[in-house]
Amino acid sequence: MTTAAPPSAQTIVSVSNLHKTYRLGRVDVPVLRGVSLDVRRGEWLAIRGASGSGKSTLLHLIGGLDRPDRGAGSTIRFRDSVLSDLRAGDLDQYRATNVGFVFQFYHLLPELTVLQNVTIASMVRDGLGHKSSAATDKAKALLTTFGLGERLRHRPAELSGGERQRVAIARALINDPDVLLADEPTGNLDRATGDKILDALAKVRAERGQTMIMVTHDAEVASRADRVVNLTDGRIVG
Amino acid sequence: MYQLLLTFKYLTHKVMPLLAALAVTLCTAMVLIVWSVMGGFLTTFLQSGKTLIGDVLISYPTTGFAHYDDLCRRLEADPMVEAAAPIIESFGMLQLPLSGTPRTGMLWGVDPDSFDRVVKFRDSLWWQPLDKPMPTDTKGIDLRLDPDWKSRLKEVRDWGNALAVPREGSPNDARAALVVGVMMGGYNERLSGGVLDPYIFLPGRKATLSVVPLDGRGTSLSVQSRILPIANQFHTGLFELDANLTLLRLDELQAMLYMDEAERVQRDAAGNIVTRPDPETGQPRPVMIRNPARVTTVLVKAKPGITEPTLQARVREIYAEFARANQGQISPPPDSEDKNLQVQTWKSRHGTMIGAIEKEIGLMLFLFGIISLTAVFLVLAIFWAMVSEKTKDIGVLRAIGASRRGVAGLWLSYGLAIGLVGAILGGIAALLIVGNINPIHEWLGRQFGLVVWDPQIYYFSRIPSDMDPIRAMIVLVGGVLSSVAGALIPALKAAYMDPVRSLRFE
Repeated sequence: MTTAAPPSAQTIVSVSNLHKTYRLGRVDVPVLRGVSLDVRRGEWLAIRGASGSGKSTLLHLIGGLDRPDRGAGSTIRFRDSVLSDLRAGDLDQYRATNVGFVFQFYHLLPELTVLQNVTIASMVRDGLGHKSSAATDKAKALLTTFGLGERLRHRPAELSGGERQRVAIARALINDPDVLLADEPTGNLDRATGDKILDALAKVRAERGQTMIMVTHDAEVASRADRVVNLTDGRIVG
Repeated sequence: MYQLLLTFKYLTHKVMPLLAALAVTLCTAMVLIVWSVMGGFLTTFLQSGKTLIGDVLISYPTTGFAHYDDLCRRLEADPMVEAAAPIIESFGMLQLPLSGTPRTGMLWGVDPDSFDRVVKFRDSLWWQPLDKPMPTDTKGIDLRLDPDWKSRLKEVRDWGNALAVPREGSPNDARAALVVGVMMGGYNERLSGGVLDPYIFLPGRKATLSVVPLDGRGTSLSVQSRILPIANQFHTGLFELDANLTLLRLDELQAMLYMDEAERVQRDAAGNIVTRPDPETGQPRPVMIRNPARVTTVLVKAKPGITEPTLQARVREIYAEFARANQGQISPPPDSEDKNLQVQTWKSRHGTMIGAIEKEIGLMLFLFGIISLTAVFLVLAIFWAMVSEKTKDIGVLRAIGASRRGVAGLWLSYGLAIGLVGAILGGIAALLIVGNINPIHEWLGRQFGLVVWDPQIYYFSRIPSDMDPIRAMIVLVGGVLSSVAGALIPALKAAYMDPVRSLRFE
């Protein structure tokens, strides 16, 4: 395991000197203090750290949900694009097309069925050009792969935690993203169920060559990844 | 696309948006009902006003003018004029059957044929046989449908048409009779559907009519009273007339008011009787002159396609020609410059009232429009709460690539959907209420003694309503827009939420 891979043609995400500070009341709280790392295409990277270490913030920044501090020389590069240079619309498109999020608490939309929770990501990406039947077929195939072929019309409230997380993974994959970003994907599950989710992610990795960045506080979960970086107090320490 | 899906889901899975839709429904229905009733009130008022007085009227109050036959001939010879009718507008006291005290009211002397040509008064006669029930009489309870009454109703219809009743024992000889409004004296009970049920059937009974004739200077002369039969009753729908107007033959009223053609003593400008010594006795004797018959008003009906202002201008010209031709023979001598002489359209006759109603409609709509702003704020409050509740979902949508504009569009389309649902339901509710407003009002009266519509105040015995499609469309679009306006600020709030904070929202 290494803390930083050298930038190369195989690098898909490159983070350089990343700083992020939040303001709590009158106090500036630095969360990330000069993080640098590269992620290779097809790599499963685990970012491990304790609660408050800044790992979720790092994931949000890579996913284009937030922007790094200005003026600190912070750079997040996705392929040839620097995310901080993108306009809001381009960043929306980046999230819709190039990355897929999996969250600790699944974050499924409760009013939608399992199938709709997956296809909605396709609807968001395609806008008026959305092809409903193609997206539905693809979502069904994904959900069947994850063992949810019989649960398509169910609502999230009718599913177990593991099933919900598999739906979330299917949603993250429906648009064939370049990078899957998983934020404590097993953090809300028991060990056995968590292992099944990690198996599912490993299967995705194996079958699709999916690049994955996963943050976790759990060393055992992190050990499933190709590479682990440790984040402590906003810095990569090894 | 996703906005439509989520809008549909939120609409069908949440109670709160239904409350917002209900607010839009109530406000839309309220404004539409008010506008329909007030608009119907004005429309009915205008139609009633026109029906009774024709398109243009020439009036010279109190003392009236002579040679009206010549004026009517001149008017009817004009290509713009359909018909002209001389009438006397006056006041009288009427003691109706079984009534303790006489009541004062309007009294019109009319020539039945010409009056009918101008205002179709024979159509307004209430007591005449009906072949089929009125559209509002769904139960068919109208007395006029009763076969047992058919011959009697035919008889009184003929009396009403002629404003005369055959003398007892001599059927070929008729005497003048009265036609009184259906609401006069409370002899008829109004049943549901606008049907009248008579406590006492007035046609054929007698009433005492008293009038006060005036001389040329407006000084009252001795009271004239006559006992006259009632021929029929009329119904215009205008309460003021249905409860206060009595019609009598023109010649009869002229005689009672000393406005008929007759030899009368001559009076000087001071009102003193002019005398001349009798050639035989040398005693002073009153000088007698022959006065032509007079009327106070001539009603004029326009030919189809002729506007009232056009006709009014033409009638002024015709009157000026008439006044020149009869110069020195019209007593008092009217001319086009006489301020007492008025040539008015039916709208200008009711101008004050029409203006007041139009202003009242505007004011009512303004007030109810302000009240309807509560719908905007209610939608805003409900949407604000829903956006707060859906904070995490908004974060998820942003995470999967939804733009700020897309998120705002979601909430605006949601507001649009709620507005559409609310406005359509409001429109249906208003349609049902406006269409059944009189039965509803009668039911409220029976159940709770609630009389919102007092015909003595509002002129019409039934609540008029007029659901105009254009007005309805304006109100419905207004309802939808108010909902979208209410959703605007919450939509902006949703759009500008920080997605990271949204995802961490507990």
